[in-house]
Amino acid sequence: MASLQPFNCATPKPKPITPSEIIAEFSHHDPSIARINNGSFGCCPSTIIAAQQNHQLHFLEQPDNFYFNILKPSILKTRQIIKTLINADHVDEISIVDNATTAAAIVLQHTTWSFFSTLFQPGDSAIMLHYAYGAVKKSVQAYITRAGGHVIEVHLPFPLKSNSEIIEEFRKALQMGKANGRKIRLAVIDHITSMPSVIIPVKELVQMCRDEGVGRIFIDAAHAIGNVKIDVKDIGADFYTSNLHKWFFCPPSAAFLYCKMSDELSDLHHPVVSHEYGNGLAMESAWIGTRDYSPQLVMPEVMEFVSRFEGGIEGIMRRNHEKVVEMAEMLVKAWGTELGTPPDMCSSMAMVGLPPCLGIKSDADALKLRTHLRVCFGVEVPIYYRAPVEGEIDPITGYARISHQVYNTVEDYYRFRDAVNKLVKDGFCCSFLTS
Amino acid sequence: MDPPTKIEDPRADANGDNNHVSKKPKLSFISEPEIRQEFAHHKPGIARINNGSFGSCPASIIASQKRWQLRFLQQPDDFFFNHLQRQILHSRTIIKDLINADHVDEVSIVDNATTAAAIVLQNVGWAFADGRFQKGDAVVMLHCAFQAVKKSIEAYVTRAGGSVIVVHLPFPVNSNEEIIAEFRKGLARGKANGKKVRLAIIDHITSMPCVVIPARELVKICREEGVERVFVDAAHAIGSIHVDVKEIGADFYVSNLHKWFFCPPSVAFLYCRKSPLSPDLHHPVVSHEYGNGLAIESAWIGTRDYSSQLVVPDVVEFINRFEGGLEGIQKRNHDAVVEMGTMLAKAWGTNLGSPPEMCPSMVMIGLPSRLEVLSDDDALKLRTHLRDHFGLEVPIHFQMTRDGEIRAADGDGCITGYVRISHQVYNTLDDYVRLRDAINQLLSDGAVCKML
Repeated sequence: MASLQPFNCATPKPKPITPSEIIAEFSHHDPSIARINNGSFGCCPSTIIAAQQNHQLHFLEQPDNFYFNILKPSILKTRQIIKTLINADHVDEISIVDNATTAAAIVLQHTTWSFFSTLFQPGDSAIMLHYAYGAVKKSVQAYITRAGGHVIEVHLPFPLKSNSEIIEEFRKALQMGKANGRKIRLAVIDHITSMPSVIIPVKELVQMCRDEGVGRIFIDAAHAIGNVKIDVKDIGADFYTSNLHKWFFCPPSAAFLYCKMSDELSDLHHPVVSHEYGNGLAMESAWIGTRDYSPQLVMPEVMEFVSRFEGGIEGIMRRNHEKVVEMAEMLVKAWGTELGTPPDMCSSMAMVGLPPCLGIKSDADALKLRTHLRVCFGVEVPIYYRAPVEGEIDPITGYARISHQVYNTVEDYYRFRDAVNKLVKDGFCCSFLTS
Repeated sequence: MDPPTKIEDPRADANGDNNHVSKKPKLSFISEPEIRQEFAHHKPGIARINNGSFGSCPASIIASQKRWQLRFLQQPDDFFFNHLQRQILHSRTIIKDLINADHVDEVSIVDNATTAAAIVLQNVGWAFADGRFQKGDAVVMLHCAFQAVKKSIEAYVTRAGGSVIVVHLPFPVNSNEEIIAEFRKGLARGKANGKKVRLAIIDHITSMPCVVIPARELVKICREEGVERVFVDAAHAIGSIHVDVKEIGADFYVSNLHKWFFCPPSVAFLYCRKSPLSPDLHHPVVSHEYGNGLAIESAWIGTRDYSSQLVVPDVVEFINRFEGGLEGIQKRNHDAVVEMGTMLAKAWGTNLGSPPEMCPSMVMIGLPSRLEVLSDDDALKLRTHLRDHFGLEVPIHFQMTRDGEIRAADGDGCITGYVRISHQVYNTLDDYVRLRDAINQLLSDGAVCKML
């Protein structure tokens, strides 16, 4: 990642943020909840909420002036900041959209048109991970399967011991995909899978795709920005999207979609078509009808906020990662279980094995347990059901995905530890829970 | 019958105290000072006579929206799992009753009319792609359709091999009969080559120039002429004119709640008439709910701020503080804007673009020909000049003459420029007096658009 200078070098160095200031910034969080799920919906500090409300007010007080004179230059500022953050070449390569779900629709609808125009043939494939996010899978169904494309899902093992397990499975799937002379037109690869959460060796997978002649590569990195280092040139994909509201302190919702410069770039369109149709995806995305664009306008304030932390965003990421690993290891020790991946495959999230005696036997059980933890213990944490493999003895079938963000404290994780210990002590089993 | 939905008041405190939801006896209607306070955030010094473009939102609704935003930020997981869908359903139910739809399933909430157009037109695109429609099958639109809708037709119909029939409506216009006659002619001409017409897109209230279209009659003509489906773009309608979707009889009907219905940006409803032939509409941003029906799909399109969709119950309460409720507001806005329009036309020696009964809460007034509004560029220049030099916010329309036909003139020449004034509850007489005087000032300075 390019080193982060203050965006305007003339401004004085910001005041370092103190622990009590951090608490104040997140004082709107429900104090009764141990909120160890930053991964799902992110978080937004009060300073940024205030900045957003300021932008909202500018629209409400004189919307015409805002539309004609303020909106576009403000979005351009955001795009420039992101270009620097992710090491893109041109600001034209950066579009701001609502979320990764929208970015997926943009990339996938582009593929649909290729099927319509017979540039792609029925049976041409798209390849994606079995652990791809549910919404993205639906989008692949809606835009590729429906248009006659074939979908290959790469099954990755979990728990995992190393990157090579991922690389091996992906290689096998690529071979199978090309069997019978089929063409693989698109690869959809997560940078950090959602459930179970694992950092994927995207650079290696992108290289394999290029070696095997995959047409286009789309990285769904919803969790990445503010969580792991991003260098889009180094990764080398054609499309790369990440949500700014998950780990980069923006309010709901804002995301960027990076599209590497190419002849095809002019043919990408936002599905909500408005006045700017045909002027490039970035321009199209900057006006999709009257809406509240304020979440897209607070990046300057966010950059100032993160620069108040020691080491800036890099310092935040490093400390989040170290802390979540420390807490994860504390939990597995307390429960006698295991991590789902080695620490270097964890981001600011970690998969922590739950005691088998809890009897998590299905996705429904996982959701019920999650609800039970929220309602009875005030712990907010998503649970992943991992189907046992034949021959396993007393396997771990449930993993909790714990997150660590700047507002978390060790008490959050002790509360979780104690809740699970209590459930075990009481002889609790998921089958006791009603839907 | 739809099951009753639980009303949830975000103002209820942590103990679940819902006292303020119970009905208070209505003591009096909202007062003038209270209205001014509700819109005190509008920039002072600006004569804001363009409610039509971006709408307006009272302070109490902004506050309600902030409460909903805070609910999400406090505990997003709980909000997502336990509250969001129920609240969206509540809003949809209110809208269903407002517009006289049969089923709440027929009402989806989307960001804006632009999104609704993309939903309907993407469906048309699929039909061309999978062979249900043949290359050359047509879509009908009005010449003055909103620019974003025209682009959407290009993106989803033309690109997929469909053809477009453009119907020109007269402007200025004197009666519904003129519109009906022109539409019938235009549609017949467009079908001349035996083209199959798959979809007609008709505005209920055109944007520029602004006229209330006899939508019900045009829908009937479409049915008579074998048009397969009709989509009414009624972006401006709700909160400005009476909306009865069953009476209008279209297959799809969209209107923005943030224009004339006091919602914050942005929220709109898309009504899709239930029928055995209802096409399989989808939201283009596909998420977990894909395949569960458009309304359910639209209620979750990834993590976003849905708060503008949740304030609808509070908006109804706000509206009921006015005498006559929504109907009272609509009538007073209409009467006031016609009165102001008449005053301006008289002061400038020009004309209204349409008779009062074809004006909603907006009216088109001819600008003196001496200003020489001779292009879209001129119109935009004049608009900017009025904003920057007179603190007036009002859109200007350039009306091209067709086939040399002069439909309006003043003592000095053809009238080719029109101003579209709006009236909403926060407007005062002074707003329009300032416009009158600004134009008179420009005239006495001998200004013409190309000099601005």
